Amino acid sequence: MTVEINSLKQIRFFEKYTDEQLGKIAAISSVREFRVKEIIFDQYDELSEVFVLLSGSLSLGITVPPDKRIHLGSIEEGHLFSWSAVFYPYISTAWVIAVTPAKVISIDARKLDAEIEKDCDFGFKTMSKIAQTISHRLSDTRFQLMNQLNL
Amino acid sequence: MAGQHNNIYKPLRATLEEVIEESPLIKTFVLIPDEEFIFRTGQFIELSVEGVGEAPFTPSSSPLVTDRLEVTVMKTGYVTGIMHELKPGAVMGIRGPYGRGYPVTRFSGKEVLILGGGCGLAPIRSLLFTLEHMKADLEKVILCYGSKTPADCIYKPLFSRLNSIDKFEAYRTVDVTDDEWDGPVGVATKLLDNVRVNIDNSVAVVCGPPIMMKFGTIRLLEMGYRDDQIYLSMEKNMSCGLGKCGHCMMGEFFVCKDGPVFTYNEIKHSPEIWK
Repeated sequence: MTVEINSLKQIRFFEKYTDEQLGKIAAISSVREFRVKEIIFDQYDELSEVFVLLSGSLSLGITVPPDKRIHLGSIEEGHLFSWSAVFYPYISTAWVIAVTPAKVISIDARKLDAEIEKDCDFGFKTMSKIAQTISHRLSDTRFQLMNQLNL
Repeated sequence: MAGQHNNIYKPLRATLEEVIEESPLIKTFVLIPDEEFIFRTGQFIELSVEGVGEAPFTPSSSPLVTDRLEVTVMKTGYVTGIMHELKPGAVMGIRGPYGRGYPVTRFSGKEVLILGGGCGLAPIRSLLFTLEHMKADLEKVILCYGSKTPADCIYKPLFSRLNSIDKFEAYRTVDVTDDEWDGPVGVATKLLDNVRVNIDNSVAVVCGPPIMMKFGTIRLLEMGYRDDQIYLSMEKNMSCGLGKCGHCMMGEFFVCKDGPVFTYNEIKHSPEIWK
């Protein structure tokens, strides 16, 4: 399923992009759907897509050896996940599973890399937004850890 | 300072009318004071059990109701443990109200973003009653609240009620989910990612455990709030309530007398702010 520029405009993650830049994203994106309990990607998978959740609810977590699955949090609509797909070695640090039927925008990460290389403004906006996502994830994880340890 | 009573050291007698179990460790005590009890939202009281001791709490009821007071108590130690054993009909003491509450008149014409965690929803509930009363003067009120588990969430019916009020929005998250919960999972600050506020015309209120207050304030600053737009409700072992005993000192401030509500701007340099 193809992605329209107008539908990208409704999503918070894509605020501040110009129409031309949204066109670039739409051209390298598609919509994918996942069933309940379907694994979108597993921890340590090599990733080639960056996702933005359009609808539904996803659970993000990690697996602790030997096989204890720890649920770290949910991913809400409009949020980016699978950021590891943009950074070498492209290995996911967590797993994501669909809690409800979910629809996501899938962006081809290698083609996104190429657009980032070509257009500095586009690259800066994209990397800033991805950095903010990672920063929030890190901050929330610290907060969660301190909560769990009752610090 | 005490409002209606002449003696600021003397507790006002109050009869326990009802005990509401909010969560495994938290109960709300509905008290009927012998006299009208007037407080401003965000001020605190010292609630006592005769022969046992007293502890500071911020009332969770509306300041517009003066013949009935609700106080939400988390079981954390000896005095609160005894309080949790009390049954309707028991007599308690109320000393206060003390300190500086929320400057709600300054919220007029603004969007109010409230971030709460755990038992911090108690003072917020009182604030929400006040804001509901003045909603014609407000643009919007958004509550973002996090509890450790779904069972730890207090005042559960409050959320659906708030979402049915014009200009009010309420969101909940939990740190750890259970089989019943189908809402967001994660810490309270995560909810801030989804709220839409006009920050230039907004104030933020934060109340909860120190760790949540710290991360919440950082996230609000990152969103673009200025130091003087963020109101923090501090809890620092208030004891006398009069700025005399020094138990609640935080830098140059007595939390009991100068607070418990401060702007972040006022206390950001205090080394004890998040302790």
